[in-house]
Amino acid sequence: MIRKERVRQESFVQKESVIIEGVDISGQWNKMWEAREITEYDLTYMDKLTDLPGGESMGWCYQCGACIGVCPVDHVGNYGPRKIFRQLQTGLDFFNSAELWQCTTCMNCLRVRPKEVDMIKIIPAARELAVLEGHIPAELQEMFQNVAEYGNPMGESARKRVRWIKELEDETSVRILPKDPAPVDVLWFVGDYYAYHQRGEDAARSMARVFSRIGADFGILGIDEKCDGDSQRLAGEPGLFAELAEHNIEQFNKYEFNKIVVSGPHAYNAIKNEYPKHGGEFETLHYTQFLAGQLEALKDLMTGSFEKKVTFHDPCYLGRHNGEYDAPRNLIQAIPGIDFVEMYRCREQGYCCGGGGGGMWLDGFMSEHVEERLSENRVKEAIEVGAEVLAVCCPYEVSRFEDAVKSTDNDGRLEVLDIIEILDMVTA
Amino acid sequence: MDHNLILVIGGGPAGLEAARGTGDLGYPTILVDKRDVFGGTPISAGYAALTPDMRSADEAMAEMIEAVLNHDEIDLRTGTEIIAVSGSAPELSVTLRGPKGEEQITISSAIIATGFQHFDPGRETQIYGYYEFDDVITLVDAEKMLKAGNFVRPSTGEPPKQVCFIQCVGSRDRQIGNFWCSKVCCGVATKEAIEIRDLVPDCRVFVFYIDMRMYGFWEDELYWKAQEEKKVNFIRGIVTEVTMRGDTVVVKGEDTTMGRPMEIAMDVVILSVGMEPSEGTIEMSKLFNIPLESHGFIATIGGALNTVTTSVPGIFVAGAAAGPADLEDSISMGGASAMKAAAFCRNKSKELAAAG
Repeated sequence: MIRKERVRQESFVQKESVIIEGVDISGQWNKMWEAREITEYDLTYMDKLTDLPGGESMGWCYQCGACIGVCPVDHVGNYGPRKIFRQLQTGLDFFNSAELWQCTTCMNCLRVRPKEVDMIKIIPAARELAVLEGHIPAELQEMFQNVAEYGNPMGESARKRVRWIKELEDETSVRILPKDPAPVDVLWFVGDYYAYHQRGEDAARSMARVFSRIGADFGILGIDEKCDGDSQRLAGEPGLFAELAEHNIEQFNKYEFNKIVVSGPHAYNAIKNEYPKHGGEFETLHYTQFLAGQLEALKDLMTGSFEKKVTFHDPCYLGRHNGEYDAPRNLIQAIPGIDFVEMYRCREQGYCCGGGGGGMWLDGFMSEHVEERLSENRVKEAIEVGAEVLAVCCPYEVSRFEDAVKSTDNDGRLEVLDIIEILDMVTA
Repeated sequence: MDHNLILVIGGGPAGLEAARGTGDLGYPTILVDKRDVFGGTPISAGYAALTPDMRSADEAMAEMIEAVLNHDEIDLRTGTEIIAVSGSAPELSVTLRGPKGEEQITISSAIIATGFQHFDPGRETQIYGYYEFDDVITLVDAEKMLKAGNFVRPSTGEPPKQVCFIQCVGSRDRQIGNFWCSKVCCGVATKEAIEIRDLVPDCRVFVFYIDMRMYGFWEDELYWKAQEEKKVNFIRGIVTEVTMRGDTVVVKGEDTTMGRPMEIAMDVVILSVGMEPSEGTIEMSKLFNIPLESHGFIATIGGALNTVTTSVPGIFVAGAAAGPADLEDSISMGGASAMKAAAFCRNKSKELAAAG
């Protein structure tokens, strides 16, 4: 009689590590290998992408590889525009693939591309379709739901948006426009991470103090402010972005003010470049631009000093996306005692923190595709140039880099501070 | 007696332009071609459209022929060969054999424009199975189908679904002995790829290449156009060999930017055959005693600064007889050789007059 099932399925076990009599015999005996040979160039998904408005230029790649040299993701993983082109040519369903979510929209490839393959248009277009088809990493899906429901990616209630003010020495120094709608010079768009993240709240309070010291006439939208939506747009939710933009524009339109000052480069990009497409045209400044514009007055307030070696991380959405490299540097270099040092990859060549284009909410997903986080790669560079402080001016970055300092065992060697926090320390 | 009769050998683009040049300069010119019609390879090989501007080969060559037809200074001889040459320029005795028999003439200068021939993909090696498989054709075979406006899979007569070009067939190959790049095949293949996509929109077109040599304006006018507007797929990695599976040809090689082997079924495989010196070119080098350069084309002196002068006084060369040349090269060399031949005759006449 023949026993048909000699080996039971459940008896197949691969242990992570097996050491027998001191010899490591760990193996990969049940690993599935992809066929090496290409037997078809299935162009279904290439056509699907290049037929999509915004996706056309994916088909223009001639494999020069210029993008790979500067792609921050390929430095820690195996991903890049040139490679996507080939994967599409060899049949990858990009819309249902891990590749779709790895781009941080840092825009470094657009700086060097000879053929004008435009990842800043391609990626959001492809993601929008993937989201419609229901292919979306769970983490990102949760974030979208939070933003749609609560107006912020954390899923915090709108009421808590002004919680950070309670810990200010002088709560009355922050005018909340819905309560006091008189005309104001500066409408400060605080942003989600300043409002809700613990380290962001520190920066928000610093901002309020510095604004007060410099005599700025400013107010905030308070609980009526919602997420700027830019990262949601780039992560494939242009509909959600439009709702958020329309909401915020409606709030802005209720008040009389001269300019909007934003805490973050993503809000800066949204309000400056995208909100006009939704009917809202406002003079918009990143806070570093606003303060650098009053540098002499600010210098007069600098009674303290900051005796540390400081480097600066260019946010992709302030630098490459909007061309502002000098304002944050002018502020840092004005601070008494600072020994400023550039990292190797700075200004136009700046490395990405990994938080853009939805990356902020994809760390779990990305960990399966990269050897180290982009933020970890960046933190190591800051340490390599001898910095004691990594100065930032994007609300995503303080938490990203602080985590990276810990995960690369550099706790105590590198401090991550928002520029506004340093300005707060040295002004009175 | 003046030294002024110029003989142009070969009535393709280079020879037609050279003859027009010498004729327009007022020098009596005899233009001979061993074929029964002028127009050179574009006509004899049945080219459809010319690279890069996609103009009809028939129309463009007709325009060139029109310029020498009924020209007061130009004597046209088709079906005529050179069978003997003696003496030296400016008193060169040449025997022609044409429809009316043999004729001996004395010329002062000659321009050799005897062109190239397409590499025969079955001659040296059978790795691509040109003579074995019906569905393996050359650029030239494809031209004929494109000219007829009916591009099909030869074995079935049906429109193909998947077609590929294999670049550098017979070029850049030490083993075959053809070390040179034939210059035009990347452009011609890309031009044909565009034409195939226009003619058979459902057909996928692939170009397997080592380097795409799309110099000058061919880059955007052909290469980018093919890729961006016509969705032609350029894949780096040459096909190693062509085999058969059932009744379908299969191309095998490496997809180098993926770093993976590939083996893909194709309805039609088009071999981008390169240029070799034509029989006429070799023949003329012997008759006129002109050395060949190391690749076997007619040698010029002066390198890049003189593309048409041979080491034999009064004998010039134009077009692909001197090495791989595209249409623009051939026309430019035709003009340059006409100028040099005219100058040679004029100087010799002046010497003669001075000698009294």
